[in-house]
Amino acid sequence: MAADIALVERSAAQQGRAGSLGDTVFRALTFLFALLVLLILGGVIVALVEGALPALRTFGISFPFSDVWNPVTEKFGALAPVYGTLVTSAIAMLVGIPVAFGVAVFITEISPIWLKRPLATMIELLAAIPSIIYGIWGLFVFAPFVQQYIQPYLIDSLGQIPGFGALFAGPPLGIGVLTAGFILAIMVLPFISSIMRDVFETVPAILKESAYGLGATRSEVVRQIVLPYTRIGIVGGIMLGLGRALGETMAVTFVIGNAHRISVSILQPGTTISASLANEFTEAVGDLYLSSLIALGFILFVITFVVLAIAKLMLLRLQQRAGG
Amino acid sequence: MSPNDTAARLGVPPELSDRGLGSPEAVPSQKAEIRNVNFFYDRFQALKNISLPLHDKRVTAFIGPSGCGKSTLLRILNRIYELYPGQRATGEVLVDGENILEPGLDLNLLRAKIGMVFQKPTPFPMTIYDNIAFGIRLYERLTRSELDDRIEAALRRAALWDEVKDKLRQSGLGLSGGQQQRLCIARAVAVEPEILLLDEPASALDPLSTQRIEELIAELKDDYCIAIVTHNMQQAARSSDYTAFMYLGELIEFDETERIFTHPTQKQTEDYITGRFG
Amino acid sequence: MDLYTRRRIANAVVMSLSIGATAFGLLWLVLVLWTLLENGIAAITPALFSQMTPPPGSTGGLLNAIFGSVVMTLIATLVGTPTGILAGTFLAEYSRGSRFGEVVRFINDILLSAPSIIVGLFVYEVMVVRMGHFSAWAGSMALAIIVIPVVVRTTEDMLNLVPNALREAAAALGSPKWKVIVMVSYRAAIQGMVTGVMLAVARIAGETAPLLFTALNNQFWSTNLNAPMANLPVVIFQFAMSPYADWQVLAWGGALLITLTVLCLNIGARALASWSTFKQ
Repeated sequence: MAADIALVERSAAQQGRAGSLGDTVFRALTFLFALLVLLILGGVIVALVEGALPALRTFGISFPFSDVWNPVTEKFGALAPVYGTLVTSAIAMLVGIPVAFGVAVFITEISPIWLKRPLATMIELLAAIPSIIYGIWGLFVFAPFVQQYIQPYLIDSLGQIPGFGALFAGPPLGIGVLTAGFILAIMVLPFISSIMRDVFETVPAILKESAYGLGATRSEVVRQIVLPYTRIGIVGGIMLGLGRALGETMAVTFVIGNAHRISVSILQPGTTISASLANEFTEAVGDLYLSSLIALGFILFVITFVVLAIAKLMLLRLQQRAGG
Repeated sequence: MSPNDTAARLGVPPELSDRGLGSPEAVPSQKAEIRNVNFFYDRFQALKNISLPLHDKRVTAFIGPSGCGKSTLLRILNRIYELYPGQRATGEVLVDGENILEPGLDLNLLRAKIGMVFQKPTPFPMTIYDNIAFGIRLYERLTRSELDDRIEAALRRAALWDEVKDKLRQSGLGLSGGQQQRLCIARAVAVEPEILLLDEPASALDPLSTQRIEELIAELKDDYCIAIVTHNMQQAARSSDYTAFMYLGELIEFDETERIFTHPTQKQTEDYITGRFG
Repeated sequence: MDLYTRRRIANAVVMSLSIGATAFGLLWLVLVLWTLLENGIAAITPALFSQMTPPPGSTGGLLNAIFGSVVMTLIATLVGTPTGILAGTFLAEYSRGSRFGEVVRFINDILLSAPSIIVGLFVYEVMVVRMGHFSAWAGSMALAIIVIPVVVRTTEDMLNLVPNALREAAAALGSPKWKVIVMVSYRAAIQGMVTGVMLAVARIAGETAPLLFTALNNQFWSTNLNAPMANLPVVIFQFAMSPYADWQVLAWGGALLITLTVLCLNIGARALASWSTFKQ
């Protein structure tokens, strides 16, 4: 018996040492791969800067402000794509935020319990549909529809208002900035809505019950209790949606028209950074052309990084407040 | 020193020494000793200068109101608190003469010698067989039949064998609460520890399961030094040989269970036992 | 009009707008899926799965594109999943409150939402330029970089859900930490982690932008990972934007295939998640 115990003791000691070796190795392994995540981001920044440098050096500070885009004379400026990116995203936000808000309110406050799950799943399927599907649908189904019905209506109504009407001028082409912005809105609204829903659920039930107990209507509880409580989270969710809209590529590429120009009218074609990259990168001849495109990518990266970082910080702040 | 002197030293009244409690063979040996132990959760001191013995082949119960530190004290005995930063202990805990609070000690080996059963049953997401085998496989190389025997023995000790012998390959999660807790007890005794720590093992169970666990503890004490934390005073009175009453991180009184529950020396102990607070 | 009536009207307006917004959102889902089905079903023929992408003006199939997508998705998953799991394990099990852990989590969430075309640019600079040519390897790596943040996030979330009592019980038996993680925590979290991988695969199944300048495209059948490889999304891009009717039909067919795959994976992942919580 004693000999057996000694044997067990010895192998236990060996196992003990092997255990701590296993611990060291495993911990180092997980640390390494966590570091890899940081390295990927670092690599992206370095690669983009390296590729963009020739263009930035050639054009200098005027690069983001020039709307010239001439592969023949090799003069490039980022203004048109940047403008297009910002305007399409703005349209996406203008349409998407109210709709996302309405969906979130419905699912959390109005919907019967049995409907909540399926409804939430269906809205999330909107997010699951790949971008290229929206692109092909937009090109063949939505754009012609817009061209036939929506755009003529807009031109005839809003387009007639002096001054403001210039936003809706021009021949109805179907494709264009407005169409792209609208499709972006549909793509982005499930993200915003999902975050809004999560954020609405953090409101303590007793807070809402106190308000209902005083006789408040549902819309009053939402407007005066839920919204103020979740303000930071809502802004965070919106910024997350904005980050997505800014970087969206394929859907926009199909319907924006790919014209490197800035028009006042949102019914006209234009281009975004990602659409330019998608369309022109593989055809780009000449180092300066390529470098200018990468410079565009770098600008997009900086914009989205800033927006996403702000979104994340706001959502973190809300988590801390909720005690999570 | 005569037996009666020893009995008197232990504070055993003469009439009880006839029952053999005071006779030399029945004098329990000390398996572990807690000496001047303090415990801190960051800045907060949860245990103040605790000293008491743990006797082999006996059950020592820890009672006291919520927050008195009894679970904290138990968790020092296998240094499970070291999983969490910011928690630390000072003082000594001697097990067979060796201080287990020594900084360089191999914690995994320590915990193989000192088993623990928790408040809520914690079956691993594996088959019943693998649940019990998990601890054994950590330190021993056994053949298939040796492993089978060990597992059967452990399940018999935990009074669970008859109920699960046909479903060893089923998930441990499929058992009832009481069965899961007995599985955890089987798992703990399977690695043949020397001390068993039970942290309110029956508090999450129904009365019938609780009774079975208590019967189990009465059997197990023949082979192990058992320390049990319980908030159920009647359970402590029924099942244990020694009782420690704690309050706000201090050890108020430690004595044989009969003594504590019939003639407590401290007022606080008496108040708690009679239900005046807690 | 008294105050109470005004309040009730305001409430009714807000409620109707919410219902309207939800109906609006669902309308587009139905529209997109319906037209996809309508246009794509015509292309679902046996030829789709047996013939290669044709030159303009003739009929064919999508076999090389399907093959390429499957291969690159597989490689990306095989590379990205262990990476993501290990990094997520670090965040959940080893980085309690550490600065480094917070930074990694922050950066990971940004990578999660970063434009996928940027990932394509990155892999172009790092692999395509260095190698001197486009390749399926580059395409797979770009997709892997998209998989990693998704798996990191779900792994960390799922591991955080494993109750500490389970870890303590394993540690109390004398188990070293890595065994606690691998043999207990992973097993407890396995369903959630598998769900995460399924969602990651659903995400990359439809990604076009990262493949545009890494794997490029290939008109012919190719199993050479070191060369451009055909894939569904880029083929759809090329064919849909073209003026050729045959190509457009194939594009719709490919779009339908991708969407069905993605929806099945999504719904499957959700079913798995709710089945596991139901079981417990």
